[in-house]
Amino acid sequence: MIGVLITTHGNLGNELIKAAELIRGSIKGIVHIAVDQTKGVEDIKKEMSAALKKLEQGQGVLILTDLFGGTPSNLALSFLKTGKVEVITGVNLPMLLKLPDIREGMSLEDFAHFIKDYGIKNISLASEILSKKVG
Amino acid sequence: MRVDNRLVHGQILEAWIPFLDASCIVVADDQVASDFFRETVIRMAVPSEVKVLISGVAEFAENNAFRRGRGPSTIVLFSTVSAAWTAYRLGFRFDKLNIGNIYNEECRLCCTQSVQLNEGDINDIISLRKEGVQIEFRRVPKEKPIDLFEIVRNMGS
Repeated sequence: MIGVLITTHGNLGNELIKAAELIRGSIKGIVHIAVDQTKGVEDIKKEMSAALKKLEQGQGVLILTDLFGGTPSNLALSFLKTGKVEVITGVNLPMLLKLPDIREGMSLEDFAHFIKDYGIKNISLASEILSKKVG
Repeated sequence: MRVDNRLVHGQILEAWIPFLDASCIVVADDQVASDFFRETVIRMAVPSEVKVLISGVAEFAENNAFRRGRGPSTIVLFSTVSAAWTAYRLGFRFDKLNIGNIYNEECRLCCTQSVQLNEGDINDIISLRKEGVQIEFRRVPKEKPIDLFEIVRNMGS
C-alpha cells in the first residue's frame, strides 16, 4: 500500500482527514504533520523524515500539501525522490476521499498523477455546470 | 527588508506581495544561491509577474550599495539577522527591518511565538539599531508591529 503524508499550515490536514473519515470511515496509512510558527524548520523536517519511514511499505509515499511555495510544501519538496516520494500541492477533500480506492496495485507515479487530476476535476463552478446543462 | 528563516513561504506569497504590491523579490542567501533545486522551487512559487533575484549575501550587498529608495517596490529577504547586518555593513543600507520568523534551538530571548533570538541575533540587532535602523516584529501585514525594545522594557518591569 502506498503511504500518504499530509502536511499543511496549521491543522488543516488533520481536519481534512477527519472530514474524509466522517464520510467514508477510517483511512489507514495516513499521517498528518502540522506546520506552525512554534516549530523550527529542522524539527519539522525530522518529523517528516520519521513519518516517511513509518509510511514506507515498499510502494513509496505520496505527500499532500496545501500551498505551493508555502513552508509545508517547501519542506516536503526536499524529500522528493523519483519512484519513492511524490509531492502534490493544493490538497482537497475529493483527493482524500479517492485515496483508499486506488492505492493498491498502482505505481506511485500513476497514483500521484491520478490523484492530482482527480483533485482538479473536482473543482467546479456551479453556475457553469448548470448553464451547460440548460444550454 | 525582512529577516525570515523560511525565506519565500506562504506569508510572503499570500500576504506581503499583495500588501506591498511588490513587483520584485530578492532572496539574499548563500545557501539558496548555491542550491539549484531550492532556487528553482522559489522561482516556481513566486507569481510570474513578480521578478525574482537570488544571490549570495555579500554579492547582493556589493551590487546594491547605497541604492536606498529607488526602483520598483521590492521585498528583500534574508534568512538570518546576521545576513542582514552583513549586507548593511557591506553597503546595502536600509531604514527599516521587518523580522518575521526566526527559530533558534538555544533561545536567549523569545520575543514572540515566531521569533526566538540567540545571543548573536541580539548583538546584530543592537548593531543595526545603533545605525538608526528601525526594527519591527511582524509576521503578516495585518498584525500590529511590535518593537523589540518595548518587549525588553516590559520584561524588565
